[in-house]
Amino acid sequence: MNVSERLYSKLKSSGLDFFVSVPCKFLDGIISILEKDKEVIYTPVTREEEGVGILAGAFLAGKRPALLMQNSGLGNSINAICSLLNYYEIPVVLVISHRGTSGEKIEAQLPMGKATIKLLEASGIPCREIKKSSEIQLVDELIDQGFSQNRTVALLFPQSFWEESGEGL
Amino acid sequence: MKRYQAIQLIMDEVTDEIVICNIGHPSQELYLIKDRPRNFYMLGSMGLASSIGLGIALSQPGKVVVIDGEGSVLMNMGTLATIGINQPKNLNLFIIDNESYGSTGFQPTFTSQGIDLEKIAASCQIRNSKLCREMDDCRRTIRASLEDNSGPSCVIIKTDKRMPDHLSPVPYDSIYIKKRFMESLSASIK
Repeated sequence: MNVSERLYSKLKSSGLDFFVSVPCKFLDGIISILEKDKEVIYTPVTREEEGVGILAGAFLAGKRPALLMQNSGLGNSINAICSLLNYYEIPVVLVISHRGTSGEKIEAQLPMGKATIKLLEASGIPCREIKKSSEIQLVDELIDQGFSQNRTVALLFPQSFWEESGEGL
Repeated sequence: MKRYQAIQLIMDEVTDEIVICNIGHPSQELYLIKDRPRNFYMLGSMGLASSIGLGIALSQPGKVVVIDGEGSVLMNMGTLATIGINQPKNLNLFIIDNESYGSTGFQPTFTSQGIDLEKIAASCQIRNSKLCREMDDCRRTIRASLEDNSGPSCVIIKTDKRMPDHLSPVPYDSIYIKKRFMESLSASIK
């Protein structure tokens, strides 16, 4: 299995069953799997903030939801995360490709790359960085924490995670 | 027609539907008209009522009614496209259009200058899109929309631009609204 298959398989076995995405080249592998997986609910969305709304609805109706996005999308959805997910204590798993980290070739990704963890901290979102594929099993603990405490949590996958396997390059 | 009357018309037709209501005065009015566990009152995140409704409609078979506003829909117009692409047959949008941001002092919205949400919804493949103004027409249109299960629907209800007569904040906190709502849903999903 490649790194996308391994990560997706882990997310699914942790009970996630409703996904939305806004693409990032690093998430392309997982998005291709989601498009074919009839065992979960999946839709692309036009903007990450919209995804937050859809996933809040999914949770209210009994699903375990996740939002796949680039860290730029965190900026696009910060009010919805604070005043919908946090305010109503609705757990959503944010699966974030963390651009603008070590190895980034696109300079424009750097400012948001630097702000990402601080934004999550300021919003009270527990987060964990998964720096290499051997750490994939660490996602379970944070996902369990999210659903047991009704808290939105973030899994960050920096450049190093994807580059190790040559994914999306 | 006042917005209060428009919400009243919708709730006259609602039986056991799930109702998601937009932030601000609409939620306050809905509370006064017909408070029930199956109402989800938004207290923040302007723009996301239709998106929340879509997430619920995709997750379970029950009918979902969204009471949205035109200012909020203009803020999150992409979600009309996502609704059109997903075609949930159990999602009914009602966009109450007073051509202004009523909860913040009646600043005009773009529908006051000809932006046409009925056509926008239709071109987002929400084929059952209608606009109504008069009370009798609105009553018929709302009823027909709830009876039609062929795809997602969108009814734009034009209302007056005026301060509501009755207002008081929804007296529940966010956690209570969520818990009561989820208990009501899980009773019917299982």
